[in-house]
Amino acid sequence: MTATQTFSQRLVNAVRRLPLDMTIVAPLLALIVLLIASSLASEYFLNTRNLTNILRQVSYTGIIAIGVTFVIIGGGIDLSVGSMVALVGVLLLFVLNAVGDPVLAVMVGMSAALVVGALFGLVNGLLVTRGRIAAFIATLATMSIYRSLALYLTDAGEVVSNNDIFPDIGGGYWLGIPIPVWAFFALALVGHVLLFHTPYGRHLCAVGSNEQVARYSGIRVRTVVLLSFIIAGVCVGLAAIMLSSRLNSISPSDAGVLYELDAIAAVVIGGTSLAGGRGSIWGTVIGALILGIINNMLNLLGVSPYLQGLVKGAVILIAVLMQYKRSQ
Amino acid sequence: MTDAPIRLHGLGKRFGPVTVLRDINLDIHPGEVLGILGENGAGKSTLLKLISGVYQPSVGQIEIDGRRYDRLDPIRARQLGIAMIPQEFNLVPTLSVYENVYLGQELRRKGWLNHKQMREETARVLASLDCDLDPRAPIAALSVAEKQMVEVARVLVNDARVVILDEPTTVLTDREVEVLFKVVRALQKRGVAVLFISHKLKEVKNLCQRLLILRDGSPVELCDTANLDEEAMARKMVGRELSQVYPDKGQPQTEVALSVAGLSVAGQIDDVSFDLRRGEILGLSGLVGSGRTEIAEAIMGLRQRSAGAIHMNGKACDIRSPSDAHQQGLAYLSEDRQGRGLVMNFNLIENMTLLSLQRYVTGLISHRRERERAEHYQQAFNIRAASLKSPVGQLSGGNQQKVYLAKLLDIEPSILMLDEPTRGIDVGTKREIYRLIRQLADEGRAVLVISSELEEIIGLCDRVLVVREGRIAAELSDAQINEEDIMLYAAGARERTPAGVHS
Amino acid sequence: MKLQKWLKQLAVLAAFSTVPFLALGEDDFHIGVSVPSADHGWTAGLLWWANKAADELSEKYSNVEFTVLAANSGTAQVGDVEDLMVRQIDALVILPTNPATLQQVIAEAYHEGIYTVVVDRELEEPTQDVFLAGDNPGMGEEAAKYMAEALGEEGQIVIIEGPSIPINAQRVNAFRDELARHPDMEILDSQSGEWNPQTSLNVMEDMLARYPNIDGVWAGDDDALKGVYQAIREAGRDDIRVLVGGGGSKDVIGMIREGDYIVSGTVTYPPNMIASGMAVALHGLMGEHLGEMYHGVPSRLILAADLITVDNADEFYEPDAAY
Repeated sequence: MTATQTFSQRLVNAVRRLPLDMTIVAPLLALIVLLIASSLASEYFLNTRNLTNILRQVSYTGIIAIGVTFVIIGGGIDLSVGSMVALVGVLLLFVLNAVGDPVLAVMVGMSAALVVGALFGLVNGLLVTRGRIAAFIATLATMSIYRSLALYLTDAGEVVSNNDIFPDIGGGYWLGIPIPVWAFFALALVGHVLLFHTPYGRHLCAVGSNEQVARYSGIRVRTVVLLSFIIAGVCVGLAAIMLSSRLNSISPSDAGVLYELDAIAAVVIGGTSLAGGRGSIWGTVIGALILGIINNMLNLLGVSPYLQGLVKGAVILIAVLMQYKRSQ
Repeated sequence: MTDAPIRLHGLGKRFGPVTVLRDINLDIHPGEVLGILGENGAGKSTLLKLISGVYQPSVGQIEIDGRRYDRLDPIRARQLGIAMIPQEFNLVPTLSVYENVYLGQELRRKGWLNHKQMREETARVLASLDCDLDPRAPIAALSVAEKQMVEVARVLVNDARVVILDEPTTVLTDREVEVLFKVVRALQKRGVAVLFISHKLKEVKNLCQRLLILRDGSPVELCDTANLDEEAMARKMVGRELSQVYPDKGQPQTEVALSVAGLSVAGQIDDVSFDLRRGEILGLSGLVGSGRTEIAEAIMGLRQRSAGAIHMNGKACDIRSPSDAHQQGLAYLSEDRQGRGLVMNFNLIENMTLLSLQRYVTGLISHRRERERAEHYQQAFNIRAASLKSPVGQLSGGNQQKVYLAKLLDIEPSILMLDEPTRGIDVGTKREIYRLIRQLADEGRAVLVISSELEEIIGLCDRVLVVREGRIAAELSDAQINEEDIMLYAAGARERTPAGVHS
Repeated sequence: MKLQKWLKQLAVLAAFSTVPFLALGEDDFHIGVSVPSADHGWTAGLLWWANKAADELSEKYSNVEFTVLAANSGTAQVGDVEDLMVRQIDALVILPTNPATLQQVIAEAYHEGIYTVVVDRELEEPTQDVFLAGDNPGMGEEAAKYMAEALGEEGQIVIIEGPSIPINAQRVNAFRDELARHPDMEILDSQSGEWNPQTSLNVMEDMLARYPNIDGVWAGDDDALKGVYQAIREAGRDDIRVLVGGGGSKDVIGMIREGDYIVSGTVTYPPNMIASGMAVALHGLMGEHLGEMYHGVPSRLILAADLITVDNADEFYEPDAAY
C-alpha cells in the first residue's frame, strides 16, 4: 500500500511540477478518457494515418483557436476569424498566382497572408479600442464584411492555385507528421511562452480580469487589447496558408464557415473562461483535439450526420458545466 | 422559548483540513443588538454565512423557534426571518427603489404586478426608518447611504426577525453613520435582533448591548458591552497587549519631493497647491466627495488636468498616465482596493510584480526571481496566505492591503500617495500598516495619506491639508492637528485667509 | 467529478455498442459515401436517397457495407473523405460541395486505387473512375422550351436563379440560349434566390413590385418555387400564367398532378443520382457490367432532364421521399 501511495504521490507531485496550469487538468483527463474510449470503439482509431489525419484536420481551427484564446483572455471575442480565413486565403492565392517564380511566389504569398491577417486583426482591434464598439458587435460586423469581400473579389467562385510547390506546404510531411501540425504545435509553444513568460501575457490577463486595475497599474490597456486582435489575425493568416495549400484552392463561400464557433468551443473546452482574465494555450490545444477526435469518431462509427451536432453540443455543455463545478 | 428564537448549538465550520470556526454557542434575543468583533480572518464572516445559510455548518446545529436545523440555505433562512445586508449591495441599478425592495417577492394582484401597493408599502417602511426617499427613484441616482436604506427596507418588508449588518459603516460618512444608528435603534424597537459587525470599536461600544469576540475561529468572550472598554475589546481581539496604535511622529527633511502648483480638474478640483517633503507624512483630510481622491488621481494622470504644474525632486514633470508616474518614482494606492488596486484572480506573486514586471525580465520573465521577491514581502509584511499562488481574492482585507502595498513598493517609489490605506482593516493590521508607513517616511520617502478617519489623520500625519469643495481649505500642523480644527475647516465653518490660518 | 464518471461510463458504453459493426471478412466491400449535409430540400433528398440505397443495396448484397457521411462545408468534407480512407474503403461515391476544394483529396483517393465515383459536380482535373450527373444544360433548355410553349411563344418572364456556382451558370445559360430561339419571349430580370424558399420569396416580392406585368416565372429549383408561389399568391396577381420549377420534388410533382393553376411543369434533376452512383460503384467494384451492356461501367453517365407535366407526373411521384 505504502509503495503505491508514494508512487501516486510522486505522480501527483510530478504532474504539479509540470509547467501546467491546474485549470487544464480537467480537459486533459477528458482527452485521455476520450482517447481510451476511441481506441476501444474503433479498430481504425489508432491507425497512424488516422491519427495524423485528425491532427491535420484539427490544426486549421486549432491555429485560429490559439489566436482567439488571446482575444478572449483580454476580455474580448472575435467572431470574424472564419470569414477572415476565406478573405486572407483568396488574397493569398491572388498574390500566389500573380508572381511568376514559384518559390518566390510562395514566399511572397505566405508573407502577404500573415501581413494581411494582421491588418484585418488591426481593423477589429481599432474598432474595439478606438471606436469603443463592443467586441461582439464589431467582429459580428467584420465577419459579414470580410466574407462579403471574399465573395465579391471572386464572384463567389473557387480560386485555384497554379503553383506547383504550394500544395507541398499544407499537404507535406516532415518526420512523418503533416506540416500544418508542426505549425500548430510550434504556434502553441510560441503562444504559451508569450502568455506566461512575457510581460505582454501578464498584462493581457490583468486587462481581461479588471480593466480598471490594469489602468491604475500603468498598463496601456488599449494597446494590449489591440495587440490581442492582431495576434488573432496573424493566426488566421497562418491557418489560411495551411488550409489553402492543403486544398490547393480556396472557396470564398465555404472556407472557414463556422470556424469561429469551433475555435471558441475549443477555447472554452480548454478551460479558458469567456469572462477573460485567465486562460491556457495548452488547454485550447487539448480542446481542439477533443473536438477533432469526437468528429473523427463519429465518422468512424458512422453515426448519423444529423446526430453529430448533438454530440458536439453536449461535449461543450459538459465542459462548461465541469468548469462551473470547479469554480464553485 | 420566545425569549431566544434563534440558538446556535456548537456551530463550527471546516474547509478541508482547516477549521475556520468552532464551538459557537449563542442565543440571539429579540430586540437586541449583538456586536461581533474579531480581526480579519477571525471567523466573523464565516459565522454570518452559516447563520444566513450561505455556508453549511460542518458540526453543530441552528435552532429556530424550537426546531433544530443541521443546515440552512439562503432561501430557507430568509423564510425563517434571517436577513443579511451585505457589504456590497445587491441592488439592480437600473430598477427603482420599490422595484428593488420587492425584487423576487413582487406583490401581485390577479397575476399582474401591483405597483401601487408596492410603492405605498415601500414608502411606509422607509418612513418608519425616518427616510424620505422617493420609492420611484432609480437606484443609480442614490448615494451609498441611501442604497443601504433600500437594503434595510427590503429586509423589513420581509418581516425579518434577525438582521445581519456586515461592516455597514465603512462606506458611510459620519452623518450617514448617525442615520444608520437611528435605523438600527428603530429596528430594535420593533423587536428585531441585529447582528452588527464592525472594526470600529467606538461604534460597537455605542450601539451594542452584548458582544461576541472571536479570535482564530474560537469565541473568546461573550459579555455585555458595558463590561468592556475599547482598550479591553482590542486586547481580547488581538490576544496580546496592544501598545500604542500609532507610531511616533517623524522628522521631515526640508527637501521638497513633490510640488503641486495650481492643479485643477474641470468641475472637480480648483487651484490646488502644496509641497510634500521627503520623510514627511502629509495628511489629506476632508469630507467624502470633497475632492481628495481626485487630487491624487489628477497627479497620477488618471484625470485630465485643466491647469497646474507638478515638480518632482525639483524637476518639472509631465505625467500623462500612471506609467509615467511610476517611471518617475511616484506610486498611488487607490481607495478601491478590489476594483482598482489588485487583480482578484491573480495570485500574490503576479499582483506584487504587476507594476515592476520589467525588472524581472531577461528575455522572458524569471518566475524564480519573482517568487523570491514575493517571499521577501510575505515575510517582511507578515502576509497570511495559504500559498503565494493563491488568488488574492481569497485573502482577508488586511492581507490584500499588504499585497497592494508590496505591489507599489516593488517599483521603489520615492513618493507614495495612499488613499484610505486602512479601509476595512482590523486593528492589529492597521497598526502594522501605520508602522510601515512611518518606516517608509523615515527611509526618506515622501508619503501623502488620504483618509476619512480623523483619528488616523491625527495620529499618523506630520502635517494636514483639509480639502473642501475641491480646494485646499487649510493647512494644519503640530497642535492644530486636532479633530475640532479639521472638522471646522472641512465643513466650511472656518475659512482660510490669505495671510495664513486664522479663526 | 460526478460528470467525469458519467463521461467514462458513456465512453465504455459507446465502445461496447460499436464492436459488433466491425466484423468484416476478406471478400467484403466497403463503400464510402460523402455528401453535403442538408441545407436545402434537394440536399436533404440526396441524403435520404443515399441512406435508402445503402439499406437496400447492403441487404441485397450481403458482402457490401456502406458508410454515409454528410459535411456542412467543403473543408469539412475533405475531413470526411480522409476519415473514410482510414476506414479502408474500396470505393468512394462523392458529391463534392466545391469541386476545387475537394479536388486534392479525391485525387489522393483515386491514386490510392479506391474506385471513385464523382456525382453531380465535375472536377477540373478528372481523377475518377466514373462521373455521373444530371443534365444541367438540359434542365435549362427543357424549362425554356416548355415555357415558350405554355405561353404560346409570346410573353415576359422572370428568372429566379441559384447561387453563383458553375452548375447554376450552365442551367441559366442554356435557358437563355434556348429562349433566344423564340423571338417573342422576353426576359425581364434574373436574380438569385439561392435555391432557398425564404430568399426566393423576398426576391419575388421585389420583382412583383417592380414589374406590373409578368407572364411566367422560371424558379430553377422546386424549393425556390415554393417561395415564389407564395409571393405570387399573396400579391393576388393574376397576370402570371405559368410557374416552372426544377429538380422534381414530390411536393411540386404533387401540385402538377393535381392540376395547379400556375404550376404546370418542372424538369427533373433527381437527387437519387447519388443512389445510382452507389449502384454504379458497387458494380464497378465487382467488375460487373450494367444490365446487358457489352462494356464495363461507362466512365461518364448523364441522366436525362425530363420534363414533368400533368401527363407523366404519376411515374415520377415518390410519396415517401424527403424531396
